[in-house]
Parts: sequence; C-alpha cells; structure tokens
Amino acid sequence: MSAVGSAAQTTVPAPGAVLDGDAPGGVRRRRGPSLTTSRGGFWFVLPFLVVYALFTLWPIVYGLGMSFFDTSLISGGAQFVGLDNYARLLGDGEVWRTLGITLLFTLLSTVPLVLISLGMALLVHTGTRGQWFWRFAYFAPFLLPVATVVLIWQWLFQGDFGLVNGALGLVGLPDVGWLSDPAVGLWSVVVLTVWWTVGFNFLLYLAALQAIPQTVYEAAAIDGAAGWRRLVSITLPLLKVTTGLVLTLQVLASLKLFDQAYILYGGSGGPGGVAAPVLQYVYDTGFVNYRLGYAAAISYVFFLIIIVVSLVQAGISRRRSA
Amino acid sequence: MTRARPARVPAGPSLSRRSLLRGAALGAGGLGAASLAGCGAVGSSGTTPLAFWNFFTGGDGERMVDLINSYRDEAPGVDVTDTTLLWGSPYYTKLAMACEGGRAPDLASLHASRLATFGQELVDPWDTDELAARGITMDQFPTPVVERVTVDGQIKALPLDTHPLVLFYNTRVCEEAGLLAPDGSLAPLDSAEAFLDAGRRAAEVTGVNGVAYGTGDALASFMLFWSLFRQLGGEMELPDGGPAEVDRDAVVEAMAFVQTMCDGTIASRTQDGPGAPAAFAGEQAGFLLIGPWEVITAQNAGIPFSMTQFPALFGDTPYVRADSHSLVLPTQAATDPEVRAAAYDMAASMLKNSLLWAEGGHIPALSAVAESPEYLALEPQSNYRGAAEVAEFDPSAYFAGSGSTFMSRAGQSLQGVGSGALTPEQGADDLIGWVDEQLSLGSPVRSAR
Repeated sequence: MSAVGSAAQTTVPAPGAVLDGDAPGGVRRRRGPSLTTSRGGFWFVLPFLVVYALFTLWPIVYGLGMSFFDTSLISGGAQFVGLDNYARLLGDGEVWRTLGITLLFTLLSTVPLVLISLGMALLVHTGTRGQWFWRFAYFAPFLLPVATVVLIWQWLFQGDFGLVNGALGLVGLPDVGWLSDPAVGLWSVVVLTVWWTVGFNFLLYLAALQAIPQTVYEAAAIDGAAGWRRLVSITLPLLKVTTGLVLTLQVLASLKLFDQAYILYGGSGGPGGVAAPVLQYVYDTGFVNYRLGYAAAISYVFFLIIIVVSLVQAGISRRRSA
Repeated sequence: MTRARPARVPAGPSLSRRSLLRGAALGAGGLGAASLAGCGAVGSSGTTPLAFWNFFTGGDGERMVDLINSYRDEAPGVDVTDTTLLWGSPYYTKLAMACEGGRAPDLASLHASRLATFGQELVDPWDTDELAARGITMDQFPTPVVERVTVDGQIKALPLDTHPLVLFYNTRVCEEAGLLAPDGSLAPLDSAEAFLDAGRRAAEVTGVNGVAYGTGDALASFMLFWSLFRQLGGEMELPDGGPAEVDRDAVVEAMAFVQTMCDGTIASRTQDGPGAPAAFAGEQAGFLLIGPWEVITAQNAGIPFSMTQFPALFGDTPYVRADSHSLVLPTQAATDPEVRAAAYDMAASMLKNSLLWAEGGHIPALSAVAESPEYLALEPQSNYRGAAEVAEFDPSAYFAGSGSTFMSRAGQSLQGVGSGALTPEQGADDLIGWVDEQLSLGSPVRSAR
C-alpha cells in the first residue's frame, strides 16, 4: 500500500519542499537528537533487524548451504553432494517445463494487468459520477483471500454448468473446458489473477493520475490539444514512472505464481500439468517428496533468474528515464 | 509545508526511551514465563494429556469428532487434544516434520498407502500383545489391508476402515433406462462394453451425461485407472533408482477405456472434482464414480439413489482401488508409557465404535463391526462391503499413495487422456516417463537410500 504514496511522490516532485536548513527559504531543521544519527536510534531498529536477520537473511544463507547437501525432510544425516543437485536440475525436464510455465504466465498476466488497470484508472479519473463506487468495485476483489477467489472461479469455470460457459452459450458460442482443457488451463489462472489483482495496479495509476497538475491540461487546452492528444502527449508520458513501477511489481508478483494455481487445480498442476509453476515444483520436491536439498537448489536457480530479470528491467527503466 | 512544533513533555516523572525498552523486555520475559508455566500446568491436574492429529473435515470431520467424544466419555482421565489439518500434502508434510523433529502427536491418522514413507522410520509399530489385551487381533481385519499395514513383519498402522472406489447410481434414472434388476438393484454390469452401454442409456434419460466422473480430478481419475489397471492384470513396481517396471499394455488399455468413456455423452470431458458429485446430486448423470464418502452429498440432495461395488469390467475379479484410514503411533523423541497406553485405548475405542464412522460410507475394518447386524442393515453403505476383500492399494513408493505427487501427476496424464488432448499411448508414456524420472532422483527415506 505504501507504493501508492510513493508513486504519487515520484510522479510529481513537490517544488520547494526541500527540508534543508541551509537552503535559502528552507524550513529550519528541528533541534534535538535525531533517530538517524544518535546511538539510541539503533535500539529502535534492532527488533526489525533481529526479525529480518532471523527470518530472511539466515534462511537465505541456510538454504544456499542446504542446496549442496542431499538433505531430506524426514531423515537426518545429510551428505555433502557438492554441485550434484545443480547438475541434476539441468537435466530435469520438469524444472524447465515448470519454469517455462512461470515465464509464460508472467507474460500473459502482466500485459492485461497493466493495460486493464490503466484503462480502469483513466475511466474513473475522467470524472465519472459516483467515483467512490467505481474505486471500491475495482479494488474490492483484491481484498479477498486467495482461497475465496479460487472458490468463486472454480464454480464460474465449471465446464457443464458454470456461469462463464452459460454466458458463452447465450451468445451461441461452444463450451470451453476452462479447468480441463490443456489449451486453456493456464489462461483460466490468468483470468482469475487479473480479476483478483488488477485493483492494486488500478490504485497506483489512479493516484498517479490525480497527481498530474490540472494546469498542464489547461495549458494544453489553450494550445488546442483535444482528448486523444492530451492522453498521448501528457497523461501517458507523465505516467511513465508509475508504469515502470507497476511493471516491475507486476513481473515480480507474476513470477511468484503459486497459490491460486495450486488451489484451483488442487495441487495437480492442471490439465496435462499446464498450470504447474516452478514454485509448485519446488514445493512438491521439498515438502511433498521430502527432498529439501534438491528443492533448495531449484529455488536458488529460480532466485538467480528473478534477480537477472529485475536487473534487466531496472536497466531498461533507467535508460528510458534518462 | 511546515508543521507545528510538538508540545513539550511536561516536567515530572517521565518515561525515558531506555526505561520503555527495559519495561518492554521485562514484559516480554514475564509473558514467556507465564506461558511456560501454562505448559507445565498441563498434566498436573491428574489427567493424561493425549494429542491426536487427523485430516478429516466436512462430514467425516463431524463423525471423527463424535468418535473422539465417545472415547472422552469412556476415559474421563484422559485429556484429548484433537487437531484437524487439511488432508493431503499439507497434513503429511506437517506430520513428517513433527515425527522427524521428535515432537509428534501421540496418535495420528494416516492413509495406509502412505506407509512406504512413514512406515520406515516415522511411526512406531503397534504391539500386538497390547492390542490383544484390548480385544483386537489382526485376524479381525481384511487380508489386503493387513498386508498393506505390515512393514518388515511389524504392524505399522491400525486400520479404521477401507474406502474403495464405488459406483453410485440414481435409481429413477436407471429404472427409466432399463438398467435395474427385478429386485430394484442395479443389473450386473460385467464388462467394459456393458458399463459404457449403461452410461449411454443413462445419458439418454438425463439428457446430459450418463456417468458423473471427475475427469480433471486426480483422486477420482486415479481411483478408476488403478482399478481398471489391476483388473487387466497390470503390475507396477517402483524400485528406488528406477527404472519402473510397468505393464505398459495394461496402462494403455485402462487409459483407452477412460478416453472412450469421456466422450462428452457417457461422461463429461470437462468435469472436475467438485463438479462430479454436484452433477450427480443435480440428476445430470445416472452414475457417479468416486469414493463412498460422497454418500452424504447424495443423501442431502434428496435424490433416489443407491450404491454398489465397482464391478469387474475386465477379468473375473472386481479388483478395486482402495485405501484405508488408519491410526498410527508417530515416533517421538521421548514416549510417556502412560500416554502411549492411552493412545492404545483410544485407538481400540475408535475401532469398536466405527459403526458411527461407517455411516459416512467407509467400510469398517474391524470384523466385529463389519459383520454386525447394525452395519449390515445400514443401506446403501453396506452394499459394497465385499470391496474390502478385493482392495487394491497404490504402488509402493515414497512419492505414491493418497494425496501424493504420484497421484496428482498420474491425474495430469489421465486428464490429458480424458479430455482427448493425449492418446492413451501418449498418456501411458507420459506417466511412465515421469515415474522413471522420479525414481532416478533417489529416495529421501534414509533406509531406502
């Protein structure tokens, strides 16, 4: 949620809001010990640092170490196997298949999640009456727990008596095997995910839109710019930073696909396994088949891929903003 | 934007940052001490604490609570804490971790098909003398079940029931389709063709499907596949390190039956797990292929129905995929003899009271209950009791059994075949290829390594 505020701030830097005591006309810095410079501040940060070290840093290091052992969840006495786990995963077709599914899902879900949320924000921002209702309606699915969302869509997607196929039938279209046809199994997860999470991106865009000064549009109007020209030449360029943020958050969120696909298909991976992401393979390997060392190795390769994707994306957006 | 300077804290006894932190630390310590004291209090009131984990939810969950309460009434000196977790991998992962960590519950439920993993070192054997002292001997259980719960000559799980694949049928639909015998029961379906024909005729009556079957459900599709595979004489050995020894022809033939059945008329190509019982309850199908636990769904729907043993569609013996909800003694770092004795008492009590359990569709494992007049009078639940004698359990491997990756992965292959995306030959190669890959990865179970 904090990202909403940061989006607005990055889009429109508030002129003259520099809190620097030395700057002419600036606000005088408050006297007294500062949390950032005094030693006491450390103690306030300590609880977070302890929790962060215990539950984030240590597991990262521990997991990396575990990937070099044949650690089992149900038997002690793990043996050091060096890079065996990594060598093995290179030849494990299931790793690459599920990784491919994850990347495909990321592509299929990110595009609509960015475009639809932008469209929704633009529609609401144009001054439609009853804005509170649209904001609520668009954001409400995001508040639902994943199990609830999946339960709703499981019934909507039913092949024989589901509402979606019922609607298709009304307009003369044939039934679709949303949950049983390997050709659409992953699309069902995409549709569900877009419905569920598009509200968050919508909020980011709406906040950014509201932060664009009205004076810019007024100036454009004086120059004779009409609706479409304003959108292309003012709104979209000024939303560039927010789009970069939305894109980054969305790619990272989509790469982490697990829970909705897992619950939707009861852990089976969907028809023909078309909706089994790599994280499900990690979970199945480590926690269902009890092979923790190997699962750790797979997750570290995936971790590396996420870092590479993030760096590439950061590089692209830096170049774009430069 | 400027902000008003905050008002000064008035002079006098003030709370410094340091004293605040110190107070917080003391408070946390106090809380910890209080909770430790709480732990120590358990058992000091003269009762024996007994922790029981199970995976029964829904209707089964309610009956399990009734069984536990029966024991609570019998043994007021035992304080039973029952914990219900989601069945399948969430339950088995937690139980395995608890056993390995030495802090397992005193008694737990387990599918007998999971003993390939748990039976090696995660559960203690049942002492047959202790059981006999409570009136329970192994000759009181069906032979296939006893064989399955015996690991290296020791009884590793105490069977509560057998739950096979069963055939539900809508008596009104079947009557209109001319599928009932003169006595009102289902006329014998003694071949694959007879079954498919019955499905077609039922579909004509319902106007939708003949058989409600979870094409997309790993459990339902595996139950049907394994029954057919075993009726075809198929064998599947899964030795650690591989390769799998599988009768591929039998896999192909069983999958071919699934594909023929899922033609959109006899059975849907798009039905999933929750969809199949819902379709049967809505009279959109004349038959339902699933485990007996759906009896309550059908009863609550108020439809005219009955149940029968899954017939022999291939061969002469109606082998049927089954599993057994069993009770195990998880391995603990330190076992209290008094608590262990209470665990034996509770297990014996649950077995003896399993008529209550049978109402949910499960065939009682204990012969005294399975042969009792009360159970025999329980219809349609007792109609398929013969299935316990021809029960076929899943292949034995650490990754196989109810709620395992083998089941979900086999479900993927079967769904591919059922939906028409894969030919039976492709489905067989897909499944066997995956099994070979799993075996080549090696087992995480210590004694099998």
